[in-house]
Amino acid sequence: MEPVRPTFWNIPHWLEILQYALGFLSIIIFTVGFIRHTKKWRIGRPEKILLSLWQRIKSLFNGAIIQKRIISEFIPGIFHLTIFYGMFILLIGTIIATVDWDVTHLFFGFQFLKGDFYLYYELFLDIFGILLIVGIIIALIRRYIFRPEKLKTIIKPTFSWDSFYLLGILFLIASTGFVVEGLRLSVQNPYWKHWAPIGNELSKLFASMPLSTLQDLHVGFWTTHMLLSFLFIASIPFTKAFHIFSASVNMIFKDTSKIGSLSPANESGVEKITEFTWRQLLQLDSCIWCGRCQEACPAYNSGTPLSPKNLVLKLEKVLISFNPKKISNGSPSNGEGKVHGEIISDAELWACTTCRACEEMCPVFIEHPKLIVDMRRFLINQGIMDQTVQDVLQKLQRYGNSFGQSERNRAKWASSLEFKIKDARKEEVEYLWFTGDYAAYDARMESITQKTAMIFQRAGLDFGILYEGEKNSGNDVRRIGEEGLFEFLKEKNQLSFGKAKFRKIVTTDPHTYNTLKNEYWLNGNGANEKIEVLHYTELIEKLIKEKKLTINKKLNIEATYHDPCYLGRYNGIYDPPRNILKAIGVKLKEMPRNRRKSYCCGAGGGRIWMEDKTPVKERPAENRIREAVSLNNISTFVVACPKDIAMFQDAVKTTGYEAKLSVKDIAELVWDSIEQ
Amino acid sequence: MNLIVFLKMVPDTVEELKIASDGKTLDPDWLRMKANENDEHAVEEAVILKEKYGGTVTLVTLDAPEVDEAIYTALAKGCDKAVKILGDWQNFTSPAIAEVFAKYLKENNLIDSKTLILTGSQATDDIEGELVYYLGEYLELPVYGVVTYVQYNENKNNILIRKEFSGGLRGEFEVELPAVLGIQAAENPPRYVPIAKIRAMMKSANIEELEFTQDFASKGIEIEKLYEPEVAGKAVMLEGNPEEIATKIVEILTDKGLI
Repeated sequence: MEPVRPTFWNIPHWLEILQYALGFLSIIIFTVGFIRHTKKWRIGRPEKILLSLWQRIKSLFNGAIIQKRIISEFIPGIFHLTIFYGMFILLIGTIIATVDWDVTHLFFGFQFLKGDFYLYYELFLDIFGILLIVGIIIALIRRYIFRPEKLKTIIKPTFSWDSFYLLGILFLIASTGFVVEGLRLSVQNPYWKHWAPIGNELSKLFASMPLSTLQDLHVGFWTTHMLLSFLFIASIPFTKAFHIFSASVNMIFKDTSKIGSLSPANESGVEKITEFTWRQLLQLDSCIWCGRCQEACPAYNSGTPLSPKNLVLKLEKVLISFNPKKISNGSPSNGEGKVHGEIISDAELWACTTCRACEEMCPVFIEHPKLIVDMRRFLINQGIMDQTVQDVLQKLQRYGNSFGQSERNRAKWASSLEFKIKDARKEEVEYLWFTGDYAAYDARMESITQKTAMIFQRAGLDFGILYEGEKNSGNDVRRIGEEGLFEFLKEKNQLSFGKAKFRKIVTTDPHTYNTLKNEYWLNGNGANEKIEVLHYTELIEKLIKEKKLTINKKLNIEATYHDPCYLGRYNGIYDPPRNILKAIGVKLKEMPRNRRKSYCCGAGGGRIWMEDKTPVKERPAENRIREAVSLNNISTFVVACPKDIAMFQDAVKTTGYEAKLSVKDIAELVWDSIEQ
Repeated sequence: MNLIVFLKMVPDTVEELKIASDGKTLDPDWLRMKANENDEHAVEEAVILKEKYGGTVTLVTLDAPEVDEAIYTALAKGCDKAVKILGDWQNFTSPAIAEVFAKYLKENNLIDSKTLILTGSQATDDIEGELVYYLGEYLELPVYGVVTYVQYNENKNNILIRKEFSGGLRGEFEVELPAVLGIQAAENPPRYVPIAKIRAMMKSANIEELEFTQDFASKGIEIEKLYEPEVAGKAVMLEGNPEEIATKIVEILTDKGLI
């Protein structure tokens, strides 16, 4: 006899009917729950998105189908894939079986799940069923025996034991399924039973039982399997299993614009949950509590109150418990949906360095720093900030630099050079060099900035600066949340740009680089030629490649390189500095956290202007220096950001490694190698 | 309360100060003006008092470069009204400024029984803090300088103030209104207003401009000569053991004819 799928074998007719009724019910509950989620996403502010269809398909494919981000951490990646594909294939199998029975068999009187096709079907489902079980067991071991810190979840937006419930019910569904199969095979004993290897093995256990017991057990397990499956489906929208949908939708609606560009503030920042955009709310709803953000977060690791994971979960909790009916005239009635104070403290918000490590690690593409900046905007609007931040903002407002020095002193560092740097406002230049505040005013940077100028001069570069016409670019001001001041500084700079004649911009500070490149829209003012913005490492790399700089001396030192957040993670510039180091004979030893995993120095997002109020465990820069020292035998810690010079030169002193490790700007090394 | 704050612009010492060719004034080409820091504390204290006890805050200024920015900032912080007295006040010193201000208040009958006049207790160009006392004198009102705390008692219509004295002493006084106060520090440091609010104020607020035609007898103190501080001698580091150092000190003091 040809093998055929024995659907509803041994199942009484009433139970069959009940199955359809319950199946229908579970789908209704699921749908109601799903709609509730979409209603919550829609309480947010509007946010326009670009169509970019191809990018969106790619994002979903990478994020949900091949799960690139998840697999970047190997063990969780593997078991997530097996659980996902186990469930996915079993779902497809169930759908095929339903079509086979309820469409072709019911209406046309034939089954296609028969013969060889059915045998392969059995084998395939058995394999994925066992993968599912193995995946769940690894997940349970990791979660409940190894207990990694990042999985500890203090705030649970759904209910406690959600993770356990989820793994538990999937485990039970898969295992009862196999028991049902085993019982059936042991009664039917078909000649092809080895095609269902797991069921076949199980059936051997039941071989000695009497027929009636087997039949009763079969009905019992079948019913349990059915009930659990429908319970699971119905519960998806009420547990973190909903991430299957919310995270996928979130991947589709991923921000396709430039990473380094913040969206303009709504009038007064975010005070209430409804003031986030719908896309931000969708992100909150996608969180699966994995804690990768927290693990990567320099603020969390140094012991500040901020954990990006808890921040997202707290906001998600507000979102989930928020009743969309409480909105009248576009905003929630009194006090509803507030996120500040008891829920998210000011200290949490100010602790963020906006380094984007969290966002880069997040497998469901939550943009934590943007959430934080939006909430900071509310604090700034209320005048709530550290005195030191207030002082800096006032200095920036008045003098256009964070040092509170006279604008006339901006190019003072250049006065002791042997040549005069062109004033781009008076003479046409090819490259406008926008040094940024730290390179211009910080005493520690003076000789480095001079050497950068000497490198440009040596290469015969046609370059100039804006002298007192340059103002702070506003990158960090914007990330502090003072949008108005950012606009103010940007307008002043654009006025200076308008007076100058240049074709390209080169910056020293990666923070400046980010905002000029991504937020100034330099080609958007009617100019036909798009103005290219380069970081000085990109330019020096180019000058070496074009042989405009001759390397006279290979340095022959061993060094490590620290990727600045705003150069690497924000703008993907990883290779130019490494290529320069290679060219000048530096043997590069990478730190374990390099490139996109680079560990922030702690200065970004305005943190450089704040003081630690509570004692910290270990400052990010100190942690980073210890990481570098652990490499053994490296003499130099190379940076490509003026703020890194400030942070790491301090950190080598406070960690006591000053004699062992010297912090150097890449420009200093380049100068050493080209000096005659 | 009827709170009146007087704010003036002073040379910004972050910028280089150069003496003009007349040898008596600062070179305007190098000069940048900013709101006097203590006056900003007076603004803050006035706004705090208004928030606590109600009333209005009127800001009065003398025309000067960049004064509009300072006025809009004060309005964004919570001042209700701003008056700018037009005229060339560049070389006016404290006694004369006090006279201008007093005349303005008197002629416009701005002082009532609930009036409290606040200004900074000092300024970069008024280190002795004379202005506030001249003002009290011209207005014939009680005056207190170096004030760090103000509390209003509505029933008695008086204020309780705390004033600092040298040597870390403090005094508390009950003062009947109207009165004049020189504020050393407001209860809280001056608040930060986001630029967006200041810019909105620039669009919506109205600065009342007032022509002041009267002649003034003097501009206050006549300055005869301005000069840069003389470069002092460089410090000498003494090295050696305590005895050697002591011997060297005695030698130096003897050399200078001090002992």
